[in-house]
Amino acid sequence: MGSSIWLQSMLKHLLFNAYNFQNMKRTKLGLRRGYRISLWLFVFVLFSPSSWGQETAQGDHVNVRWLAPTTFASGQTQYIGFYFEVDPEWHVYWRNAGDSGAAPRFDSTVQGAQIGQIQWPFPQRLPVAHLTNLGYEGNVAYLLPVTPDNDADTVSLSVSLEWLVCKIDCIPGFGQMSLSRPVTENVQWQAHDKEIQQHFVSRLPQSATQSPWKVQSLAYAKPSGTHITLTLMADADETSTPRVFPLSGDLISATEPQLQRDAQQLKLTFALMPGAQLVQQTDFVITDGSQAWHLANVPIIKSQGNDNSFDSPETQSIWVLLLAAFAGGIILNLMPCLFPVLSIKLFGLMQAQSSTRVYEGLAYTAGVLVTFAALGGLLLLLRASGSAIGWGFQLQSAPVVLSLILLFWLMALSFSGFFDFGHRLMNLAGSHRSGAFVTGMLAVFVATPCTGPFMGVALGAAAVLPAMSALMLFLALGAGLAAPFLLLCLWPWLLTRLPRPGAWMETLRQFLAFPLYATVIWLLWVLGKLVGDAGWVIGCLLMLSIVFAIWIASKTKRLGKWTAIAIALFVLIYSFVSIQVENNSATTVAKTDRWHAFDPVKIEEALQQEKAVFVDYTAAWCITCQVNKKLVLENESVLKLFDRNDVLLIRADWTHHDPAITESLSQFGRNSVPVYAWYAKGTNNAELLPQILTVPMIENLFEESH
Amino acid sequence: MTYKYKKSIFAMSFIALLSFPFLAIAVALPGKPAPDFTETDASGMQHSLSDYQDQWLVIEWFNKDCPYVRKHYGSGNMQALQKKYTENEVKWLTVISSVEGKQGYFEPNEALIEAKAHNLNASSPFLLDIDGSMGKAYGAKTTPHMFIINPQGQVVYAGAIDDNDSANPAVIESSMNYVSAALDEAMAGKEVTVASSRAYGCSVKY
Repeated sequence: MGSSIWLQSMLKHLLFNAYNFQNMKRTKLGLRRGYRISLWLFVFVLFSPSSWGQETAQGDHVNVRWLAPTTFASGQTQYIGFYFEVDPEWHVYWRNAGDSGAAPRFDSTVQGAQIGQIQWPFPQRLPVAHLTNLGYEGNVAYLLPVTPDNDADTVSLSVSLEWLVCKIDCIPGFGQMSLSRPVTENVQWQAHDKEIQQHFVSRLPQSATQSPWKVQSLAYAKPSGTHITLTLMADADETSTPRVFPLSGDLISATEPQLQRDAQQLKLTFALMPGAQLVQQTDFVITDGSQAWHLANVPIIKSQGNDNSFDSPETQSIWVLLLAAFAGGIILNLMPCLFPVLSIKLFGLMQAQSSTRVYEGLAYTAGVLVTFAALGGLLLLLRASGSAIGWGFQLQSAPVVLSLILLFWLMALSFSGFFDFGHRLMNLAGSHRSGAFVTGMLAVFVATPCTGPFMGVALGAAAVLPAMSALMLFLALGAGLAAPFLLLCLWPWLLTRLPRPGAWMETLRQFLAFPLYATVIWLLWVLGKLVGDAGWVIGCLLMLSIVFAIWIASKTKRLGKWTAIAIALFVLIYSFVSIQVENNSATTVAKTDRWHAFDPVKIEEALQQEKAVFVDYTAAWCITCQVNKKLVLENESVLKLFDRNDVLLIRADWTHHDPAITESLSQFGRNSVPVYAWYAKGTNNAELLPQILTVPMIENLFEESH
Repeated sequence: MTYKYKKSIFAMSFIALLSFPFLAIAVALPGKPAPDFTETDASGMQHSLSDYQDQWLVIEWFNKDCPYVRKHYGSGNMQALQKKYTENEVKWLTVISSVEGKQGYFEPNEALIEAKAHNLNASSPFLLDIDGSMGKAYGAKTTPHMFIINPQGQVVYAGAIDDNDSANPAVIESSMNYVSAALDEAMAGKEVTVASSRAYGCSVKY
């Protein structure tokens, strides 16, 4: 006995200090080889079947002992257990260990009986830093079925074990355990051991036929191949939410799947391992928390068309989505970003001849469609190359926001009549065909911040649909955007319905400068959020200098004009360079005490504690988000309501490019903001609220849950 | 007319500015371009992906105190692999992404000593990714997590060093080494049989 412990510690010492040992001798190759041979010798001696009768194994933070009957009965199968007693907060692993770690290994030799495969009680998800592991916190028994031979007097087992125990750091353990028990008429257990053994036997996965959840389908989510969706049908009386664990760590990530529930149908969307070899079938273990079932050899359907895991595309055909995109495009025309530009353009047109008007309309439409196709194409290209980005990504870049500030500033100034130059730039479209094309392009960019109703679903679907369908959605959005303008151009009688041109137009134009000034203020604020205080200082300096340059140009002759151009160029280059530098030292949006920064682990923890969670997916550059925030989410009574019901408030700020938030949005089938996800108390699946919130809507959430 | 033309060029250049693309690739995936990196090694030299254009490159994640790293360094397996391939014109970078205060973090002078003590045969002493940016860009989950990048800058392998996630060095001889298999196949112009695997080991200490 004593010698075995000595040998074990010797082995451990050798394994752990092998490295230092080797360094000392690293120039003496012969010695190194000798050391290796001696190591092998130890392993051989220690792991040989005829070794000592030790019934336990020890390691740092772990003790292992048998759960075995005192006597076996011939022909009667018993599950014997390797009972791992683990220190608090330390854990050992399931057969699929997840993102890191390793399952224990058992190498058994048996006499007088037949043994089966090691059986694994269902595990739990263990978040470790940025990873998810599958294993057991606290004690666990790995079980081995043993059937004594008919003619055997005793059953003798000798097992060499290897395990890994982790908290954050990991410690491997090695051991050797033996068992020898007589075979008699009856099986006899020590009551306490039997109790523990039974607890873990009851947690072994059983045949899927007895499962209250039946597999309907398993399909790769189209098109990027980053997710796989398991669809289950629950028995009529089954209302609880199961936990599902993938058996293949090579194929499926251990991270908690996204759950969607529709009456008795459950859809679980798992992340696939990046670059995983796609296979034909795979296995899961499903549990209700006390029992478990093994869903074996579930065939994987290669999904086709719009058979998809997410809420929209499956129930809504592509035509519905196209229609929504088109409607969303039309509504964009009324958004404050776009309305002033378009109305001025329109009034410019009223003076034009009808033939020019048709050209204008078509050129404008072409401009819109080409830009949407280009942006959509770029988005799809980035998506294909693995970037986690979404719609509105243009506004996550400081130089783009600065350009927009400059653009809106110049437009506003020219609307106010401050200078002619910009006025002509805007009117360019009114009298020049390529100008109308440019206006179309401009309209798309100007419209991006105003993601309106209907657009969310369509843009979200575009993120997950195959490239062709996605591109069609972008074009439908563009068509919707261009439609009202085009219609007015094609049917002049519509134009005649509008008031006659006159002096009032000048007044209106001046009036419309004000929404543009407001947009400039808002964009400066966005820039501030993106790059910190320096952002709006740089933006304001740019605006001031541009006005100054224009003033010089208007007051002076040739030399002065060159000076003005020089000033403008210098300021442009300077501000864009400095904004790039500032871009790297970005600050995140400050969170208030109530609202927490986005953290999937925190959400998961709250859900496990059966707390309600409200996630506000937002961005500084998203107007709809800001309106909802001001009117509803920061509303005193709403906040009180959240407080009273102990809701975890999460603000997922997408102002900056953030792959984690993009990923999270994609699990809802969305890739634009706003998205409001509501996890009612005690549920695991999110309900998505409409994109325009109202206070009663939030109040209803709590009435329903009471 | 030319005046107007100038104006539309002006407007066009606005649009060009607006469509600034910006890329951020989530992780290193087989068949995809490798994420860019710029890190300083223990001797103060800077390394970027672009320095390794037209060369085969192996990137390995390291943490001195991880039992799985010890498995491959204690047995001499990793150093032998480094030696074999660096002698064959393959470049090899061993990266430490542990942040200050966490297991496996080194100051540059310590890292130099450890590189020597570990008999490191990589192309340079440890790359010190002190903010974890390179590790996160590559999606490095464990030590050792291995990546192979071809001369065109594409990832050809990402995953474990071999197929046996035991911490016991004795299993190395009977394990299938994915890295050498992938390198041999890829360098011979063949398709890599196993291009990705579950990286086993300790979590990277970001």
